[in-house]
Amino acid sequence: MHILVIEPDLLLGGTYVRALEMAGHTTTHVTSAQEAIHAADLRRPGMVVLELQLPGSNGIAFLHEFRSYADWREVPVVLHTYVMPHIQRQFRDVVSEQLGVVSWLYKPQTSLEQLLSTVRSHTPAS
Amino acid sequence: MKQLVTTAIVLGRTDFGEADRILTLLTPEYGKLRVVAKGVRRVKSKLAGGIELFSVSHITFIKGRGDMGTLSSTRLIKHYGVIVQDIERTMTGYELIKQLNKLTEDEPEAGYFELLQQSFEALNEPIVPLPLIRTWFTAQLVRLGGHTPNLHTDSNGQKLDATMQYDFDTEKQTFVPHPDGGRFTANHIKFLRLIFAGNTPNVLAQVQGIGALLTACSPLIEIRGQFN
Repeated sequence: MHILVIEPDLLLGGTYVRALEMAGHTTTHVTSAQEAIHAADLRRPGMVVLELQLPGSNGIAFLHEFRSYADWREVPVVLHTYVMPHIQRQFRDVVSEQLGVVSWLYKPQTSLEQLLSTVRSHTPAS
Repeated sequence: MKQLVTTAIVLGRTDFGEADRILTLLTPEYGKLRVVAKGVRRVKSKLAGGIELFSVSHITFIKGRGDMGTLSSTRLIKHYGVIVQDIERTMTGYELIKQLNKLTEDEPEAGYFELLQQSFEALNEPIVPLPLIRTWFTAQLVRLGGHTPNLHTDSNGQKLDATMQYDFDTEKQTFVPHPDGGRFTANHIKFLRLIFAGNTPNVLAQVQGIGALLTACSPLIEIRGQFN
């Protein structure tokens, strides 16, 4: 599956990309919302792994933009973010329902293994 | 075909064909408009510029025979860029846009445009608390819908007294005198008058004791909001 990783930290992004590729996926790593739209346009992702805190914008704005295109509406999105769980809780239901977020991971408490297992659990069986 | 110019706020957008987008716009002169923005490819998406969310723009459009117009040019007047630097403010911004989009008829009065513009101004000021913006927004919808509560006389038709305390009767939509200690004092009523008089959140944020006033008055406003 092709996974679009939207992660502003280059080091972390590189780590996730290597781990996902070792697990058999192909990836594109971008660091901003605008690059993400461009990357998705070049190659439709099967899944998006998204940090909410992005330079000059944020993941929520990206998701609204992303979902406004019909052919990206069904792409599952995994949030993997530094946004604290108590803040996430304030808008988790709305975002999950309206913007198609399938999983919420709090980055400081999520191991690479947990990230991979979350991606695996939302990967359609081939 | 007639070319028209107006000020607009983007309420929503969706794709249309290979490279076009349909924008739903709120304008002071023409109410809600649906226009086709031709040739707006994804790489030139809202995130890149043009007609942005959380912004006010001058637009020129051609009114077609049907419901849909065609956008011919845009010029950004103001972008409220601070909003997207904060996730909670962004979420609230989208909620308000969605709520207004749902509530407004095809030709809403200019007050709705002003309401959304003032909401953006408030969201763009990090010192204005989000609960105040949400409550203020609901109050303005109530006001524009013509359901402002009676803030001048009580259930007996007497002028509201600064020395009295009151409860609020949600069925009759009036304050009821409660000599033994009602929930609402003169300060609460003054605050409600300020909100329903259309003062902006940026002004209301300066009211002393805003947190406590908001806690006490929000339920009353939210109940009114449900009647809208």
